[in-house]
Amino acid sequence: MNDDAREATILDALEGVAARAAVSSRLEPPGGEAILRSVVEAAVAVFGAEAASIALHEPDTDRLVIRVAAGRAGAGAIGLAFAASTGIAGYVFSTGQPLAVSDVTADPRFDRAAAETTGYVPGSILAVPILDDNGSVGVLEVLDGRSEGGNQLRDLDLASVFAHQAAVSIRASRVERDTAELLRATLARLATDRDLDAAAIESVVSDTAAHLDSEGGGRLWALADAVARARHASPDQVGLVIEILDALARRSARPAPRSFRR
Amino acid sequence: MSLDLPAWSEPFADSNRGGLARHGPWGRVERDWAFGDASGRGLRVAIIDSGVEADHPAVGGRLVESVAVEKVGDEWEIVPTQPLDVVGHGTACAGIIHALAPEADIVSVRVLGPDNRGNGGAFATGLWWAIEQSGASVANLSLSSRSEAFFGPLHELADEAYFRNVLLVSAANNVSVASYPSLYAAVVSVAAHDVPSGDTWFYNPAPPVEFGAYGLNVDVAWRSGTRMVVTGNSFAAPHIAGYAARIRAAHPGITPFETKALLAATADNAT
Repeated sequence: MNDDAREATILDALEGVAARAAVSSRLEPPGGEAILRSVVEAAVAVFGAEAASIALHEPDTDRLVIRVAAGRAGAGAIGLAFAASTGIAGYVFSTGQPLAVSDVTADPRFDRAAAETTGYVPGSILAVPILDDNGSVGVLEVLDGRSEGGNQLRDLDLASVFAHQAAVSIRASRVERDTAELLRATLARLATDRDLDAAAIESVVSDTAAHLDSEGGGRLWALADAVARARHASPDQVGLVIEILDALARRSARPAPRSFRR
Repeated sequence: MSLDLPAWSEPFADSNRGGLARHGPWGRVERDWAFGDASGRGLRVAIIDSGVEADHPAVGGRLVESVAVEKVGDEWEIVPTQPLDVVGHGTACAGIIHALAPEADIVSVRVLGPDNRGNGGAFATGLWWAIEQSGASVANLSLSSRSEAFFGPLHELADEAYFRNVLLVSAANNVSVASYPSLYAAVVSVAAHDVPSGDTWFYNPAPPVEFGAYGLNVDVAWRSGTRMVVTGNSFAAPHIAGYAARIRAAHPGITPFETKALLAATADNAT
């Protein structure tokens, strides 16, 4: 086998691996989903609720899909999808504004069909947004919690802490998913053009990474790409990059005044 | 159990309200004087939300104009729209304001919809129209953006409103992140208190959230002519917007700054 054929074989093999990695990460959800499950289980326990669920937004279909649920009345809800722009969850998702409803059945059209699909129609709902740096990515709902002292304001605040935990987990699992996508997309492009030198391959990886950042303004992969490319710099230049990043890190770690928290 | 909750409502909770006690430099102002006939007559209130249902009994037929933000090509544009509510939330806010200022006209600026969801551009466009084109002197914003990209544009709009004599009343967002414009100094920022009374509000001298109003278990109008009992800062803001409408209608020419001062001087903790 000559060198070209060997390289082609290796690329084919890597692409096969990347494709399977991408599929398996869908079939067997990464660690993040286990954390989401623990978040809803903890929410059920803390609120003494009949159910708690986390619905995440799927941009392709513009629907909120319940990914995890817990509690006696929660099991039937997993996989349920509903429009991202209507109903209580849709409002909370759209506006990022937490909301508690004491008696949801007062609105005859409110999510009743969706709720009946799960075999459970709640009386009360706490709904809080799951927010990342660019806006809502989902909604955490707690159904029929037994509010201590009936203070749903306090409950909304508490539920927001759970939602924040979920957001941290979702963010971490997105990096895992994007990494698989980066590998898959890069190899797919290399497979179709096998005459690239090292600089061109680096450029392909860089270009692919740039497409992973969301339209909403997240720049995580752009930052990762810039830092990764800087590894080819001279020792002096690398030293400068480290100094700049260090200065930036110290500046962003400085607490903002309370009235200007961003 | 003690948790560091991200709670703008905390200063207004029963157990913490002692911290709000204060004697303002000019003492308490009587509400009867501040509110005049409490009608809101001759005033327009813009509701930037999910739309307002014109024929809901709680709106009292006061909805005079409905527009929506829609994407046309690459631009966000204001278009006339049916007087409907895609959620029920805008109607809830309109109902609260109408109950407090029954003769104020209501303008609905719908910034929510299938394509606009959570989009800072749609929100900013709707806010711009409310400030510059709607003729409203009070605008209720029971929603916010947390897009860093819109921190600047929304800040400029909040200042623009202040300079153009439009009072923005904005619900604080009780999540552990900043949201705009509720944290800007030029707006009236509102969180919920836990007193079951629409006639009770508190002034918090420690910004950014300066007012606490009725937002716990509030009976509100909702979509399709119904009502619901709901909780959230979203429902506290329109109470303050309603009081502000009373004040601004009773004292023509009053500025946003003077309105805010009167809201503080008529609050339950003002002595």
